Amino acid sequence: MWVEKYRPRTLVDIVDQKEIVERLKSFARSRNVPHCIFAGPPGTGKTTAALCLSRDLYGSEYREHTMELNASDERGIDVVRETVKTFARIKSIGEIPFKIMILDEADNMTSDAQQALRRTMERFTGTCRFVMCANYSGKIIEPIQSRCAPFRFIHLPREEHDHCLSQIAQKENIKLVNEGLDAIFEVCSGDLRRAINTLQAAASLNKPIDAKVVYSITGRASPSDVQKMIKTAMEGNFMDSRKQLRDMIQKYGVAGSDIIRQIHAEIFKSGIPEPWKIKLADVVGETDYRLVEGADEEVQLSALLAKLVEAGCDLKKAA
Amino acid sequence: MSNTAWAVKHKPSSLGEVVGNKETIQKFIEWIKSWDVGPPKKRAAFLYGSTGIGKTITVEALAQDFKMELVEKNASDYRTEEAINRFVGLASQFSSLSGGKRIVLLDELDGLTGTADKGGVKAITDIVKDARCPIALTANSAYDPRFSNLRNYCLLLEFKKPGIGEVTKCLRGISEDEGIQADETALKFIAQRSEGDIRSAVNDLQALAQGKKRLSYEDVSWLGYRDRQESIFNVLKMIIYAKTCVGAKKAVDMADVDIDMLFEWIYENVPDHLNDPYDLANGMDALSIADVYRARIRATRDWSFMRYVIDYMTAGVAMARCKSKASGWIPFRFPSRIQMLSRSRFERATQLSIGQKVKRKCHISARRATREFLPYLRIIFKNNPEMAAGLAKWLDLNIEMIGYLVGDEGKSEAIIKLLA
Repeated sequence: MWVEKYRPRTLVDIVDQKEIVERLKSFARSRNVPHCIFAGPPGTGKTTAALCLSRDLYGSEYREHTMELNASDERGIDVVRETVKTFARIKSIGEIPFKIMILDEADNMTSDAQQALRRTMERFTGTCRFVMCANYSGKIIEPIQSRCAPFRFIHLPREEHDHCLSQIAQKENIKLVNEGLDAIFEVCSGDLRRAINTLQAAASLNKPIDAKVVYSITGRASPSDVQKMIKTAMEGNFMDSRKQLRDMIQKYGVAGSDIIRQIHAEIFKSGIPEPWKIKLADVVGETDYRLVEGADEEVQLSALLAKLVEAGCDLKKAA
Repeated sequence: MSNTAWAVKHKPSSLGEVVGNKETIQKFIEWIKSWDVGPPKKRAAFLYGSTGIGKTITVEALAQDFKMELVEKNASDYRTEEAINRFVGLASQFSSLSGGKRIVLLDELDGLTGTADKGGVKAITDIVKDARCPIALTANSAYDPRFSNLRNYCLLLEFKKPGIGEVTKCLRGISEDEGIQADETALKFIAQRSEGDIRSAVNDLQALAQGKKRLSYEDVSWLGYRDRQESIFNVLKMIIYAKTCVGAKKAVDMADVDIDMLFEWIYENVPDHLNDPYDLANGMDALSIADVYRARIRATRDWSFMRYVIDYMTAGVAMARCKSKASGWIPFRFPSRIQMLSRSRFERATQLSIGQKVKRKCHISARRATREFLPYLRIIFKNNPEMAAGLAKWLDLNIEMIGYLVGDEGKSEAIIKLLA
């Protein structure tokens, strides 16, 4: 996969997140790393930065001194007790006395596991430093946050996104037109992992990559699907709109967060009366928050659709 | 779409159509005929056997066949001795007002319970002793100690559960009447699951097949782990139409399904029963809050939050229902979301195993990989065998996984050839 092929190997190669990278470079130079939290949206280079840091520290044998653990797959307290502890307590041989533990998607750890982790971090600071990657730093418990140096990763700015994709396109010898680039940015909004995956999938079609190709391949529902679903709900047909939602989620695998982002955009584009837009934005926001809390996508979004049915009914009465 | 229950619409109109229990029914007929020459020694027939196998229907069909007036009372009508004595007049007259014959049916005797019905059984026994017209009693068991004295004055008629073959035949007849082409295996499956309870089998059939032209085995097989129907329908009714919070919450205890499954049932059926848009919005909001509490349980592993899940999914929904109109009999539907999910269980297993492969290479969790990589891999595998072969090798995918990503068995050959 191109995401792997073009993943930067050392901190020098990372083009964006300049301030973060500068600080990490100084860690590598001084051969000392504090516990860190890398927080930020998906596809902004958190894992990459952690891997590069480790490689810059240990050189080619970095794998022996680094452990990568994915909290989404192994998030129970047992993992912290066994795997993490075992790794953390054993002293590293070599110039640098500590090892690096990369805990990816750490915000998916249960709070019990996080509590257990907090003790481990404290006791074995001498032998192991933790880098926790998370989308939301708020989901990491306060005591851990206070033990870590925080780094905020932000979405790639447009120029760097374009620069990166154009370079890959050039190396892979594919034709990427400007509208295609626009479309990828619109669809992936700065998530570089998704952008590169989209580019590769688009390239597999063996034709110049323009906006049409990008839209045709993105797993994201095209805006018209969401539009149609909103319209169906506002007309009062809840069952049909729920069916459309279910198809989007189950058949086409569209992520709930994508759907909600689009509903939010659509509401402001639509022709409904202005005061209603802001009322609905609140409803959408609440739904979004509940999704972030880990609730079921279809249940939450269909509750939102029911609100749209209600709004549609009120609008009809007002008219 | 018709709003009548098929169990009512298709109930037998004569004894010949009643499923099973032929010998018992014959005894019942002989007994009723014996009344022609004066009241027999045993003035009541006690029909007993498990629910939904046709006891009440047999009495109704008999009244039809012999052109008798049927006077029917059930549990709620005869709670006390006093209430029962009101029927004495009815039972002591042989002829009805119109001059025809009459049969009195006291249905669901099991409904007499505890102190509230004190004296009820005794009063019935007294009526039976001196009855001047035939009385039919029904209950799940005639051997309940409460009935020990009553039994002596009754002709005991045991109703046995019909065989799977008989239930299947009955379902076949109904599907034909409804113009549904049903696979034999599908009907047999429903029959088997009902364990002889014809009424619940017919309810199942309706819930699964209404509005369809065809019913295949796939449409029903996913029910494998589902619990008995009748109970869940009643539970749903109790929840959605509850007048008090406590009433709605209590229904949960009666459900044989676990809370998550019950949630799915409610989630599926709420829109049909909360037809007012304001009620619907509030009801769905209650479900969404219940769902948030489920997420909190998962996050904290603290199961005590379960009480709030139950509050919102039952009382929350019931209290949301205020402006909705009752709209006839709407059948409860199976949670189609679960149906879709269970159909794709195998699919998800394959997805996750591909996710594991991606995880090893791309520093991402397997769950996330299935979400973020699979859609793109699918496009590549469908369109570009060379690129696909390269990826398959790099990710170490097996033939099954390649087949899944391509989505078409035949097409994966090109990729496999390139790999060799």
